Amino acid sequence: MSERKHDPLDEALASLAKDVAPERDLWPQIRAEIATTPIVAEEPRSRMQATWFRLAATVLLVVGTSLVTYYVTRQSMQQQVAQTTAPQTLPAPVAVAQPASFSFGSERLGAGYMNARAELDKSFQQRLAGLPPAARAKVEADLADLRRAADDISKTLAEHPSDPLLQDLLMSTYQSELQLLANVSELPTAGSMRTDL
Amino acid sequence: MKAFERLYRLHSGKVMGLCLRMTRRRDVAEDCVQQTFIRAWRSLAAFEGRSAFGTWLHRIAVNEVLTHERNHGTRAESDGEAVEDAQAVPGETNREYDAGEVMDVERALETLPPGSRHVVVLQTVYGYSHEEVAEMLGIAVGTCKAQLHRGRRLLRERMGLPEMSDE
Repeated sequence: MSERKHDPLDEALASLAKDVAPERDLWPQIRAEIATTPIVAEEPRSRMQATWFRLAATVLLVVGTSLVTYYVTRQSMQQQVAQTTAPQTLPAPVAVAQPASFSFGSERLGAGYMNARAELDKSFQQRLAGLPPAARAKVEADLADLRRAADDISKTLAEHPSDPLLQDLLMSTYQSELQLLANVSELPTAGSMRTDL
Repeated sequence: MKAFERLYRLHSGKVMGLCLRMTRRRDVAEDCVQQTFIRAWRSLAAFEGRSAFGTWLHRIAVNEVLTHERNHGTRAESDGEAVEDAQAVPGETNREYDAGEVMDVERALETLPPGSRHVVVLQTVYGYSHEEVAEMLGIAVGTCKAQLHRGRRLLRERMGLPEMSDE
């Protein structure tokens, strides 16, 4: 270390000026350029990840409770009806979701998606009316949660339109919503069974 | 904007010195300085204050130089006069050297291959550590050490200095 103190190379390098003035004043050009460009507020990665995890956790929670509600309700309905009729066939939700045409809102998924959703929603409302009050309230709450999660994800995606994770999450949320509508629509209703009997 | 101008006035000399020694061309160095401050303005919100503002600027400047080299290739010829014209700022040096001796260092520095020159400039002139230089240049710490060793050996040869241990 003491040897390096007297190294002529180190001393020569240390003698070099750190500051070198530009030949011309660069500030006017810099000022002209930055006057037209705002400061970009980059969201820290950790905050973005936290947002993503929060949204994903919301969707997972809602999907999980929806499935539980669906199976519990189905069990209960099957006990009420001794013999079942064949369930009405409904359009498969996965067939109508078009990731390629995806943007922020469900309406951007195209007419096919919107038509299938409207048809399912109609059938869903009919079946929902026949459910026991407690199960109906739970299904309605789950659906509201899913739609609220989709809205949250859409808003976040509007701020980060190129985030592939958010795009996937929104798509899967729409599919979960369709799945819930389809599941409830397939439930046999006690009322229809009694009519058949 | 006024505050940012003050920052420019305060830091532009060091950023220019760094860019000039890395690029060896005054016109390119001035472009890099300009781009450094424009990029710094645009990214001000991302400055987290974990390092000194000057260090943050230097990182941006090094990126600008490397980007320029990638886009335009490293030119073999150098603008020797540009570096020779650089005037030492009083108080910046540890001891006085005569003009010829300083010019020898600058000239010898210019002749180094880009990889070694970048490491020598950042580490021995601007005082960054192996780790900091490696991160700035996007190379491994081992590579950084090897480039420094090579650079110092070449400098000694070209300045006619005796061999000494660089360890």
